[in-house]
Amino acid sequence: MNVVSMVVNRLVWFVPTVLGLLAVVFVLARIVPTDPAVLAAGENATAEQVQEARERLALDRPLPEQFVEYLRQVVQGDLGTSFYTQQPIVDDLTERLPATLELTILGVLAAGLIGVPLGVISGLNRNSWLDHLLRLVSVLFIGVAPFWIAMQLQLLFSMQLGWLPLSGRIDDFAPEAMTGFLTIDALVAGDLQNFLSALRHIVLPTLTLALPGAAVIVRFTRTSVVEAVNSPSVAYQTAMGLPRRVIVWKYILRLALNSTVTQLGLVFGISLTGAVVIEAVFEWPGLGTYAVRSILHSDYNAVMGVTLCVGVLFALSNLLVDLLQMAIDPRGAT
Amino acid sequence: MINLITSIVRHRTALVGLILLSLVVAVAIAAPLIVPYPEDAQTFHIERRLLPPSSEALFGTDRMGGDIFSRVVLGARMTLLITATVVLSGVLIGVPIGLVAGYYNNGISLVLGGGAEILLAVPQIILAIAITQSLGPSIGSVILALSVTYWPFWARIVFTETRSMCHETFVESAIALGVSAWRVIFLHILPNIASSIVVRTTTAIGTTAFASATLGFLGLGPPPPSPEWGRMIAESRDYLPDAWWYALAPGLALLLTVLGCTLFGDGLRDILDPKTRRRG
Repeated sequence: MNVVSMVVNRLVWFVPTVLGLLAVVFVLARIVPTDPAVLAAGENATAEQVQEARERLALDRPLPEQFVEYLRQVVQGDLGTSFYTQQPIVDDLTERLPATLELTILGVLAAGLIGVPLGVISGLNRNSWLDHLLRLVSVLFIGVAPFWIAMQLQLLFSMQLGWLPLSGRIDDFAPEAMTGFLTIDALVAGDLQNFLSALRHIVLPTLTLALPGAAVIVRFTRTSVVEAVNSPSVAYQTAMGLPRRVIVWKYILRLALNSTVTQLGLVFGISLTGAVVIEAVFEWPGLGTYAVRSILHSDYNAVMGVTLCVGVLFALSNLLVDLLQMAIDPRGAT
Repeated sequence: MINLITSIVRHRTALVGLILLSLVVAVAIAAPLIVPYPEDAQTFHIERRLLPPSSEALFGTDRMGGDIFSRVVLGARMTLLITATVVLSGVLIGVPIGLVAGYYNNGISLVLGGGAEILLAVPQIILAIAITQSLGPSIGSVILALSVTYWPFWARIVFTETRSMCHETFVESAIALGVSAWRVIFLHILPNIASSIVVRTTTAIGTTAFASATLGFLGLGPPPPSPEWGRMIAESRDYLPDAWWYALAPGLALLLTVLGCTLFGDGLRDILDPKTRRRG
């Protein structure tokens, strides 16, 4: 199979994936204990209004027809209205998405910046005390619940030391939205005070997100560095008498870090779902906080909207990772 | 079997993991016998609420006056029940699907394999949130939600391994000799991929305990006053920073469980997979 057909194959798989996700959300919306027509018609609706809503939402037709109708609505960007915010769910989601993306992207960057160097150090000094320590710490961070770390960080840095804000995204009003990433928006506006405020707010959530991600990257990078160190090409270079420094930088790292891009992409997916959970702890105004609030208010449509949105983003990031992997190393893909 | 046991005992990581995991299971089974206040899973003692750790309450008391240590230990049973059921159904659904989809190369295998791939393309915890939300928070919905979302992990690994097994000479010769498909799958392929399934299952125990605590934390787990770890951690947020001890015990319990599974899984992979064994 050549590269082009592999890429096409991946792209084609994306369609049933999203369709499958839509089908799952559709089925879930049909098994909720409350009648969606009653929900749509509102609290004080008369029987006629409920009936009218049922017909408008096509709930009186057979399921396959309903599914087609549902798909048509989703394609038109109609995910229904949230009972809690009384806004179209698509608007709610687009309003909150940048906050979640800002957090996720920073989290992955931080995870990479912490994880890759530590993984390389660990792998190059295999079985030293430093290696054992790093392995222990990374296993610990894989095992610890992010929402629990989040609370411990808040307890220490915000409540006891008072160094960093407890929750939220910024102290004052947000700068004029361009990217929706407050740190970048404030920088573009030249507003240093807001930039620092946004930065101080994002430190703890980023750290919470980055620590487990970094732990995964340390373990992965260590394994590939150890593999590279033991590879025949490195043995050959050593036998040729090349200085250790040259071997490490030119051969070992190049061999080992080939697949780090893929690993970062996978961590992006994990972090995206991680963000959904920890946002609630920091009252970070993104998709996660919205999801949790919707759960508390039994706002079914909104929960399904978040599921759909995060699911599509996750599938997209997986797709990108696969394509990147093919670009970097066309041998591996099938 | 005896070889395996000696390898585990010799392998430090695997041994530590196994000890941690056995400890959690043993504590969960013996819970009502070892906790100082076995009735604290359900009853309230408002007069001793939010007390810091002391000799009477090792990890302090919670907002209802329950002894946190007792509740965490009793909660281990709930975590164990959820995890065991989810992992068992994951194996029972995922392994046969993976075997059939991997052995045959036809429409059925495409549908089964494709279905698993589609479920894997969506973040598990998000799907589980949507399912528990639809069914209403209870221990049953958590089990159902996690079983529905986690079986593809087994299906995928079994599928991949079965596909590569089909090209092995011993499988090809068995097929050529006219051995029936079921016999080939269960007597020739399954025993040879069993070690991967075991490793996958060990790590899955940790992941599932994690996921069920996450659902509990979000308020989707068993309703209060169930001593569910995730819910206990969520409850403690209203009493910070004064009740700093509140989330300590449930967080550590979850950490020990997941840590045990990760270490044991890592160790087992080293022991059972000869390719990584050489690297050490």
